[in-house]
Amino acid sequence: MKKIVLVFTLFLALNCFSQNKQVLYNFTSVPQSLLTNPGSDFKYEWYFGVPLLSGISVNVGSTGFSAYDLFANNGVDFNVKLRNAVFSTTRKDHLAINQQLEIFNGGFKIANGDHDTYVSFGMYQEFDVLSYVPKDLAVLALDGNRDYLGKIFNLGDLNVKAEMLSVFHLGFHKNINTKFIFGARAKIYSSIFNASSTNNSGYIYTIPSNTGIYEQEIYSQLKLNTSGVASYNNENGEIDLAKDITNRAFLAGNLGLGFDAGFTYYPKKNIQLTASIIDVGFIKHSKDVESYSLKGLYNYSGVVPSFSSGQSVNNIYKEFQEAIPLDTLYSKYTTWRPAKFNSSIQFSFDEERPEDCDCLNQNAETIFRSAIGAQLFIMTTSRTPLVAFTTYYRRKVFKSLDVKATYTLDSYSFKNIGLGLSTNFGPVNFYVLADNLLEYRDVTKANNLSFQLGLNVIFKNNKK
Amino acid sequence: MKLNTLFRSLVYTVIPLFSFSCASDLDFEQVNTIKLEPVVVTSLAFFDVKETQFVVNGADRNIIFDASTIQIFDDSFFRQRLQKVELFYELENTINRAFSLNVLFLDKDNQPVHTINLAIPSYAGVENRNAKTDIFESARLDLLKRTTKITFTIVMLPGRTLTGSSVGSLKMRSGVTAYLVIE
Repeated sequence: MKKIVLVFTLFLALNCFSQNKQVLYNFTSVPQSLLTNPGSDFKYEWYFGVPLLSGISVNVGSTGFSAYDLFANNGVDFNVKLRNAVFSTTRKDHLAINQQLEIFNGGFKIANGDHDTYVSFGMYQEFDVLSYVPKDLAVLALDGNRDYLGKIFNLGDLNVKAEMLSVFHLGFHKNINTKFIFGARAKIYSSIFNASSTNNSGYIYTIPSNTGIYEQEIYSQLKLNTSGVASYNNENGEIDLAKDITNRAFLAGNLGLGFDAGFTYYPKKNIQLTASIIDVGFIKHSKDVESYSLKGLYNYSGVVPSFSSGQSVNNIYKEFQEAIPLDTLYSKYTTWRPAKFNSSIQFSFDEERPEDCDCLNQNAETIFRSAIGAQLFIMTTSRTPLVAFTTYYRRKVFKSLDVKATYTLDSYSFKNIGLGLSTNFGPVNFYVLADNLLEYRDVTKANNLSFQLGLNVIFKNNKK
Repeated sequence: MKLNTLFRSLVYTVIPLFSFSCASDLDFEQVNTIKLEPVVVTSLAFFDVKETQFVVNGADRNIIFDASTIQIFDDSFFRQRLQKVELFYELENTINRAFSLNVLFLDKDNQPVHTINLAIPSYAGVENRNAKTDIFESARLDLLKRTTKITFTIVMLPGRTLTGSSVGSLKMRSGVTAYLVIE
């Protein structure tokens, strides 16, 4: 167990957010696309997701190394693989995990002639981890300081965030006119647990000295905030994790507020522009809060016998603990959700022949069989934002089968090909989305994989 | 839309996609074989005793002494994971007298667990240094870990009487190289 914790500290002191849903974004035959843009051009009478089965998504990304690099069962000593992984990464490399599960999801139309308004609502659970590789600390743990005299080890490399929360949301989108659709969504976050250590700074160095052999200095501004975790440290307490998680998921956790907003605009019949901003919000942590800090400055160059009193006292260990004390605090803190920005431009072509025309429900989405487009995704992190650029081709293969193929450039990969399929058997909508398809040749070597599927029931009014 | 055609098209696209997928054999149990072997260096002690400190009321002071309480082995994490220790000492003498340095490591009952002796000749206008490295492993290391106090005794060897007016000094610096094994 200790070893697992050690490895966890080395790597999974992670901060994870890779939430680019490039296949889902603007894939308007899937209702869940509303969660990536509340202003999506998605029309319905009413719909609901099959509870627990409407949206299951997992996204794992690591820019520095793959599971294969570390855990391959290939006879190579794990410690050699660990060294190679650490030394091939930089402090900018990160590991991100994002998992979402829709608990329920639905929507209905409030008819108003040309200005239809659509309401959508639901609840989903989300688990996020984002950790940068604590490169300098890992090097220090692997090698010590002997071979690094003069090097300043950056304690700010430690940057980790992990959170589980549930999100209740209520959104609407409205056809302002035939060319412009606007949507917004309000969100209540209920945090089940949170651990974040993202604003760290400080350094450790060892330099040759003229007086002693070495001079060493540690300046530490490290802090770890936790909420929803401390009560489990109490060994006497009875733990009913499932009950706690359920309670906290249903608004008994630390609460927060946020919003999404977005639009779709058709400057011409076959040109579409969209943009959205998702998860602009915060969570205020005040229940079951416990924070740990290591703050201070310690300089050491050796014991100096005085020869005058004959009794020098140098308790190095105690001096260090007093200079940089480990403090436990119980103060409230606020975390910001990672905000995501999406935008796209799309050119549609290959107009459907009149005999196939869904003339009673005309819009730009249904009269063109094919479209090409480009998307831009930006997400805030505690360091530089993550950026991804996607080009895509979308085609209505049959009336009941929509396909979207994507090619994405991001910090994980330059060869990310994704595919989304959405089928409609009567009112039943089933969709599967996956990216990094080339990596499926060997999933353990993948730097990033995401997968999403779900089942919905959609009623569209064809008799307008 | 013919359901058949649709089904067939799904089969033709989805099945090949995932049938080409595979996963190399991973072994997460390897984590249990983790072994970190950092080598940590730090200073142990240093002093710079001026010639004037060896002269009291115009007469030589032949022995000076200090017992330093030094609790570097207090941290049990550090102590338990120590595999090997190298202690390095360096003396530099610019005083026109020869010296001998005795370093005695004592446990909490003031019993000696280790001693070293380092001698240095008198200064004759050229660089005058003497260094020594002591290596501790297994039983010797276990003994060393009991150290709670180190005494430094400087003995001035017979020679020309000091005036206390020279700028010479006796410098000592020492360092620790600790080899840790964390499993």
